[in-house]
Order: sequence, then C-alpha cells, then structure tokens
Amino acid sequence: MEGESDRASFWKKNIKTVPGRPSPKSDAKTTSKTKAPGATSFQDFQASVSDAWDLEDDEFCVISSLENTKISKKVSQSAALNVLNSHRSTAEHEVPSNDRTAEKPHLYEPDPVRISRIPGRPRQLHCFSPVQEEDNESKLERFEALLESNPSLQELSKLSWSGIPVKVRGITWRLLSGYLPINLERRNGVLERKRQDYWTLVEKYYYTEHDETNRDIQHQINIDVPRMNPSIPLFQQRTVQLMFERILFIWSIRHPASGYVQGINDLVTPFYIVFLQEFIPDNQPFERFNVDSLNQDQLRIIEADSFWCLSKFLDGIQDNYVFAQIGIQKKVLQLEELIKRVDEVLHKHLKQHNVSYLQFSFRWLNNLLTRELPLRCTIRLWDTYLAENDSFATFQLYVSAAFLLYWKEDLMQEHDFQGLLLLLQNLPTQSWTSSQISMLVAEAYKLKVMFADAPNHLLSNTGDS
Amino acid sequence: MVFLFVVVLIGDSGVGKSNLLSRFTRNEFNLESKSTIGVEFATRSIQVDGKTIKAQIWDTAGQERYRAITAAYYRGAVGALLVYDIAKHLTYENVERWLRELRDHADQNIVIMLVGNKSDLRHLRAVLTDEAKAFAERNGLSFIETSALDSTNVDMAFQNILTEIYRIVSQKQIRDPPEGDTIRPQNVEPIDVKPTMNTDGVRKQCCQ
Repeated sequence: MEGESDRASFWKKNIKTVPGRPSPKSDAKTTSKTKAPGATSFQDFQASVSDAWDLEDDEFCVISSLENTKISKKVSQSAALNVLNSHRSTAEHEVPSNDRTAEKPHLYEPDPVRISRIPGRPRQLHCFSPVQEEDNESKLERFEALLESNPSLQELSKLSWSGIPVKVRGITWRLLSGYLPINLERRNGVLERKRQDYWTLVEKYYYTEHDETNRDIQHQINIDVPRMNPSIPLFQQRTVQLMFERILFIWSIRHPASGYVQGINDLVTPFYIVFLQEFIPDNQPFERFNVDSLNQDQLRIIEADSFWCLSKFLDGIQDNYVFAQIGIQKKVLQLEELIKRVDEVLHKHLKQHNVSYLQFSFRWLNNLLTRELPLRCTIRLWDTYLAENDSFATFQLYVSAAFLLYWKEDLMQEHDFQGLLLLLQNLPTQSWTSSQISMLVAEAYKLKVMFADAPNHLLSNTGDS
Repeated sequence: MVFLFVVVLIGDSGVGKSNLLSRFTRNEFNLESKSTIGVEFATRSIQVDGKTIKAQIWDTAGQERYRAITAAYYRGAVGALLVYDIAKHLTYENVERWLRELRDHADQNIVIMLVGNKSDLRHLRAVLTDEAKAFAERNGLSFIETSALDSTNVDMAFQNILTEIYRIVSQKQIRDPPEGDTIRPQNVEPIDVKPTMNTDGVRKQCCQ
C-alpha cells in the first residue's frame, strides 16, 4: 500500500515499508538538524499509521483522516523526529543542537504530552499515559472493570503495557504470566491447586537429603541470597531469605538444563515484592516491612505465587541460562547488529575504543536490567515485559538497545576504553522513575516495530560496515 | 611511558574477589556485595620504578556456569589473582581446578598469584598459611594473604603482581600470542604484555 519510492529508502537494507513503522533515525546528525516541525505533521503521521492497529483499540484514535493511509516518508520521519526531539529536550525548552544533551535523569519532569507522542504506539500511550501518578484513578477503574469481567488476555496486555496500578498489579501479573487462568470460574481452583503443588514440591525435594549436584546448587543459592539487595533491609530478614532459597532451589531442580545461575535470584525479586505488597497495609514501603508480621498462609501464598510466576516468566528465556549461555551470546550479537543499524555513530564510537558489546550487555541480558535499574523501575518495566507475553524474549533485546541509545550523549563524551566501560557498568539510573521506563519501552517498541518484519537484519554480520 | 597490564580475578564464588577489586581501585568495601554477573571491570594506576603502570582488572563471576564467558577474558590477561577464602577450605581445594582453567585458556606466560583472602577471620581459619604457601611454591605461584575488609595487604597484592609482570616485561618481550584468536575480548587483545602508551591507540582486530 505504500509508494514504491518509500521502499528503497526506508532503511539501508531495503526492507519493506510497513504501516506504523516510522523511519529509523539514521544517525544523530540527521536528528539534530530537524527542529520540531509542528503538531500538524505529527497528526498526519498518526493518522497515516492508524491502519497498523486493531480496530478495537480505536476509541481514542483520530480516525477522521483514515482515508489518507499512505505514509509519506517525509511526514513520518519528521514527525518521528519531532517526537524524539520533544521528549528529549523537555528540561531545556530550546531544542538542543545535539538531541541528547537534555537527557539527564535528574532533569526529568514527568511530561505526559511528551511521552504520549511516541510513534509506533500512538494510541495506547495516548490513552494510558505512563505518568501513573496523574491518571491512576481512571486507569485503576479501567483495570478493575476489566478484571471483574472475563477479559481477553489481549485486552489485559494492552492495558498493562503502559504500566499497572499497584493495587491490581498482583492479580494482573498472575494473569499475564499465564499462571492464573483468565476464566474467572477457574481461578480459585487453579490457585489453590498450584499453591498446594508448590508446597508438595518443597516437602518432597527441599527438605530431603540432596545428592551432589543439588548440594552444589543449594550451596550457590545460599551464597547468593543473603547478598542480593544489601541496601534493602527487607532482604536481610531470614524469613525472606529462606523463601528465596526454597523458590530458587525448587526452580533449579525442575530445570536441570540450566540449574541455578547467578542472577536468577534477582529475577524472583519483582514477583516477590509485588505479591508481598498485596499484604502490606496502608501503602507502607516494602523496604522496611517486617514479613514476620504476616501470617503463615500469607507467606505461603507469596512464596508459591512467586515461584510459579518466575517459572512461567523464565520459560521464554531458558536458553539464557543453559551451558555456554547461548541465548545471551546470541542476543549480544543481535544487539550489536541492531545498534550498528540504528546508530552507527555510537556503534563506531564503541568500536573505536575497543569496547565490545559482551563486556557491558551480558549483565543487562542475563539479569534483564535488574542490576541497572532501581527496583521500582524494574517492576514497572516488568508490567510491559509481562504484557508482551511470548514476545518478551525478543522485546528484551529492543529494551536493551533503547537503554544503550538513551546514554548516547554521555557515552560520546567518554574518550577512552575505561571511561566508556566504567560508565556502561554504572549507569546513573538511581533517580529514575516510571516515566523513564515508559519512554524506554516506547523507544524499544519503536525499534521492534521497525525491525519486526526484517528477520535478516539481526543475522547479517557482513553488512554495510 | 605508560604500561598497560590486564589482570583477571578468579576463584570460587563468595571468596571476596569483587571486594578486593573495589578496595584496590576505589578503597571501598561492602560486607555484602552483590554477586558478579559475567565479568566486571575496574582500573587503577600505580608507579613502579618511576614508571606508570595502568592495571585493567577483570573481576569474574565465580559460578561454573559463567566459565564460557569468563574464560574468554583469560586470554588477554598477563596476570591472574587466584583467590580463595582462608575460612572456607573448599575454596582452597578448588584452586587446582582454577589452575587448570588458566592452563587451558590463558597465555602460558601468565603470572599467577595465589591470594588467601579474609585473613581478618582469624578465629575461623580453615587453611593454614604454610600449607598454602607450600602449595604456591610447588606450583610456581606467588602467594599472599589479604583482607579486603581491613585492607591488609590488598594494595601489596596488586603491587606485587604488577611489579612482577613489569620485571618480566622489561627483561624480555614476551612473544605475541598467535593470531586468529577470535573469542577473546576485543579490548584486551592488543595489550598482552607489550608496553603501550595508550590502549585506545591500538586498533582492535575484527573478529567477525
């Protein structure tokens, strides 16, 4: 449906133009030259890509100009750049000549307008602004209405993608992860049975004599659990540590191909916190909550549900943790290819200083960014991961790419190997909130949409460099 | 002239590798520090004989599963600190396994120092100093006991191994490793034991 002229130039490797896929930012120079073009062009763009969306999602969409379904490359590109520029330069109102200079986390003010105007996902972000503090009420209502009915997983994912209110996060995560059935009538039965199953596993395998392999697993878990989150008092409580030890051990013996791998402990944490929060009264912060004030049944629920959700969640990324960690090695290569395509300047900068992607992105991928982000942000990020369902394994790659691109400006200012690597290992995200995560996943979504129909783009090693 | 030496920290999980590194490079210590995922990097420069020696140190994850990733870093290293915990005998028993790892993956001229960490845990000592020292001698390793917690000997350990490497380098240029190593980390590739002014000036060789 697009003009032929768009095809050849959509991006370097001659990939077909697809509705809803904005042109890639070819490099920083192009971006910086483009001043914010004005609202009309964005609306044009939004209308022109609206055919890429399910009709049921149309309630907030501008449909009046649907007849204009052709993407004008100029329009889409300028609109995309407009959006990029505008949300990168909120702190300084002047569009900076270099598009990243304003992007210091501490300068960030939540800006719903900026964040909602992201190409590739216009409606969703339009409807559900990620700035949860502002429209929590209405969003919560929507969730509650949806959860009371028999929602489709698709509807729930769509609503969850841009963030889930704390109050309904637990149930929503259970549903999205596939642990809890969507069907209302079946839920209680399944929950009861699964929780019982977990505790049966614990009885059978945890409190018994371990063979040598299992002793090794147990040993490693016992070393790692006490030092998981040294700065958060919650995790120093013995009760909490025991819960983690059991969850990890049972998961490991049920997944012998990988067993326990350091870092998986960090992946239990978001589930644990979310299910714990369901029992913490009055929005008290979880960091200092005393879990021994909960009763035994509550503790058993938190532990069993964390276990099952972790299991479901890791199913899609098992190959990250098997011998030689091939899943990660593959994704590291893909990340490199992707960055090479979307930001050659940054790619060359890293290469010029002998930084290899493995050196910094291994941990990102192994721990799904949990080591790079504050816990509250990880939890918000997982709203989106879980909403991605089966595609989350791939989506994770795009999030990593967006994360790297986010720091471009800072990285470009480092002029040697060690400066680059030290920065990449210690990215200053301490002050991040959900609005940075919303922007990150929106950028990731954009990349995903750009490359989703180009299966070869991540394979090519010979390419154009 | 600036010498650039790449050193790896290896040894069982929980023996204090990351704390040795943070004590040496930033003078920091955390009683509980998170497990290392894959490989992490830090650097510090010291003076030997009026020369600046810049140490690029790779701290590796102790768990076996990470071996495929971490072993790639051994290749470019000219020194290795093989760390065990003086209060945990098993971590000392595993030293032989770690030596095999190095023999399989590292340059044969790599300088290895055996480090008994957590020497502050006197009342829990499970590995005798003399025993470890004798083992080190038999295997041609240098030896030191350290405490990252109270700083004992930490600077000394790094200083010693870097000086040892420096002496070897200034006596003779160790031959370049063979070409065609494709899995080594790219940044450490050109460094080996040759003195260079600056790593960034050296072009990496493309591995693809």
